[in-house]
Amino acid sequence: MKEKLEILLLDDEAIVGNRLGPAIKKAGCNVEVFEDPQKALNRINEKEFDVVVTDIMMADVNGIQVLEEVRKKSDKTKVIIITGYATVALAREAMDKGAFDIIAKPFRPKDFLAVIAKAADSLGYKREIVAAA
Amino acid sequence: MYKKNIFQKKLVSTTADNGLLERPQFSFRLHISLVFIFFSLFSMAIIVGSVIAINRIQKKLHFVQASERYLFEIEQARRSEKNYFLYGTNLENAVQNASNAKSILSQNLQKIVTVLSAEQTETIVVHLDRYRSLLQELMVLEKNGIDSSAKKSKIENSLRKYGAEMVKVAAALVDKEQDSMNAMLHLIQRIPIYSLVVVLLIGLFVARFLVQRLIKPLKYLVECTHRIATGDFSPIKPIRKYRDEFTTVEVAINRMLEQLKSHEAAMVESHKLRAVGTLTAGVAHELNNPLNNIMLTAHTMLEDYKDLSEDELLEMVNDLINEADRSRSIVRNLLDFARESESISEPLDLGALVNDTIKLALNQVKVSGAKIETQIQPDLPRTRGDGQQLKQVFLNLILNALVTFKSSGIVTKPLKSQC
Repeated sequence: MKEKLEILLLDDEAIVGNRLGPAIKKAGCNVEVFEDPQKALNRINEKEFDVVVTDIMMADVNGIQVLEEVRKKSDKTKVIIITGYATVALAREAMDKGAFDIIAKPFRPKDFLAVIAKAADSLGYKREIVAAA
Repeated sequence: MYKKNIFQKKLVSTTADNGLLERPQFSFRLHISLVFIFFSLFSMAIIVGSVIAINRIQKKLHFVQASERYLFEIEQARRSEKNYFLYGTNLENAVQNASNAKSILSQNLQKIVTVLSAEQTETIVVHLDRYRSLLQELMVLEKNGIDSSAKKSKIENSLRKYGAEMVKVAAALVDKEQDSMNAMLHLIQRIPIYSLVVVLLIGLFVARFLVQRLIKPLKYLVECTHRIATGDFSPIKPIRKYRDEFTTVEVAINRMLEQLKSHEAAMVESHKLRAVGTLTAGVAHELNNPLNNIMLTAHTMLEDYKDLSEDELLEMVNDLINEADRSRSIVRNLLDFARESESISEPLDLGALVNDTIKLALNQVKVSGAKIETQIQPDLPRTRGDGQQLKQVFLNLILNALVTFKSSGIVTKPLKSQC
């Protein structure tokens, strides 16, 4: 068992990473922040993360593709989808493909951390995250 | 007529038709009526003229007959006179014939005066009277049994002289009258031919004129409809000097054009609103990104403001401002497009226009998972046009391409604009 929850955060909006990155660290997790989906995919291939958070609507690669890549790599990793375009069809597709949860923009850091905590909980990291949230 | 006046008054009230209706009226109905009246009067004149001429000829015929009778009587008298001098017979017959001639002469004296001169008429009367008195003298001589050959031969000479004179004048009278009658007959024979020629010429002229009057406006109307078919809805302008039945058609077409114009404007507006509807959903979603950034930043500031350095705070405030600006420009873009605007023709930078349009549709493009590649020639000349309407055209192209892209998935490059 690892000490800290390993999180990858991918969103082509830089501010999302800028704000959530420190918040996640403060909550006691390790986080790698990416704006470029391709780089993030490369990193996913190198390293197995506990949680992958990805925006769905990005210029070159969409979140569903990231989800599929992660699923190919590992069954354990929890994938959380962030979307500004929350539609029922999209949510169903994401869930069908094995996403852990979906967060609709706009959200508060608290809401985001709560979902991370839920993921940590299901992975057995409950203690640290709950304390941070 | 009264109804028509009301109709025309009503038409005058619309401004676009003023040019058409300001002209003096000269309708085809009036035109044809005038032609008809002219021909009727002309025919009547010909008929009246013919009747008068025929009457005259009839009178002349009577006169010629009388003249012939006169000539006959005179000649008969002269023959009897000759017989008398040759065989001593027929003197009574000569007297009788002479007196018949006298009665014919006095019956037709008035008429003769108009044909011959008064002087000549006088001569005729005098000659006849002399002739008759000479015959009377002979009768007296005969009755009394005086046989004076000297006197007889003197009378005979005088008789011959007057007789010959009378025959000559009477024959001349008959000839003259016959000539005059022939001339008149000749004329009356010509009248139908002349009138036919005149009627034909005038008819041809009138027909040509009418046909031109009909064909010219028809041609013009055809031209106008062609022009309208190409989308030029400017009203029909008057080209003829007069108002006529075609003016009513032209006024009606102008009315139709006004309607078409307003319908077209409404249609453009409704197309635009439909596009706005499509875009609004996308814009609402697109707004979520800056809103999310604002929300995350504001909450971070709220929760951690004590721990944040001045630089960090400054960065966050700047982020807030930038993201608020971004939201404003997203909304403004759509509002600019949705705003009702007058159609203005101005020089346009088509490249910038296409890029603006793409910005407008970017969300739809993202949602469809499509990508837009633009290839815009950098030194593109400015083009005159209505920017708003062109934007709408490009937008429709993009949105339609996206629909095709979604439904078939075949379009790998949804839009490649090569200008």
